[in-house]
Amino acid sequence: MPNITPFDPKAHHIRFVGSMTSSDGVEYEFRAILDTGAPWTEFSDQFLHAIGMITEIDQAVSTKSGLQTQKYDRLIVPHVIVCGHDMHELSVSVSHFENHWGIDALVGLDFFKMFRTTIDYKAGQIITEAY
Amino acid sequence: MGQKMTWEEMKKAFPDEWLLITDYERDRLGNIISGVVERHSAEKDEVYQLPSLKKKAAFEYTGESTFRGFRSHAEHHSI
Repeated sequence: MPNITPFDPKAHHIRFVGSMTSSDGVEYEFRAILDTGAPWTEFSDQFLHAIGMITEIDQAVSTKSGLQTQKYDRLIVPHVIVCGHDMHELSVSVSHFENHWGIDALVGLDFFKMFRTTIDYKAGQIITEAY
Repeated sequence: MGQKMTWEEMKKAFPDEWLLITDYERDRLGNIISGVVERHSAEKDEVYQLPSLKKKAAFEYTGESTFRGFRSHAEHHSI
């Protein structure tokens, strides 16, 4: 059975809520955007640091004008839930996000490779099912 | 334990700030209906500081997202 994740079709982006389990086993929810322009799913370094996934933030990294966010590391996260799908040992990018983006994750093409994804804009639904 | 607030109250009390919220409810679109604000600041670093809480929590931003995506950026720069 596919999972159905509602989103607000009137918003600028396809925004939804995901969650990640911290290093001490606590669930933290984050705001994410489904981004077909992102080759890999990436998380803000601040979020990953706050929940104990990384020990320090590279303060020298800042967002530059261009077509890329400032990805600067890769990480295996033990447990993350996106669109209702539990994913374990997921490889993600560690990235610098601007404060006013208001999000902590961009869900990219690696997610589409794992799940057949239908975006029903009229209904405001992301419909996902494992291949 | 702090006082439970509605999302509208949070936006009014903490405009353009990051929040760490516990004991919350969401609507079907994932928007916060109400919850307890454990931390708040316009500086994201202050809200995302360690130590983490020992209970389920959510990070939310009360302002408008300025993220426009890379396609929008490309259009703006005629790429």
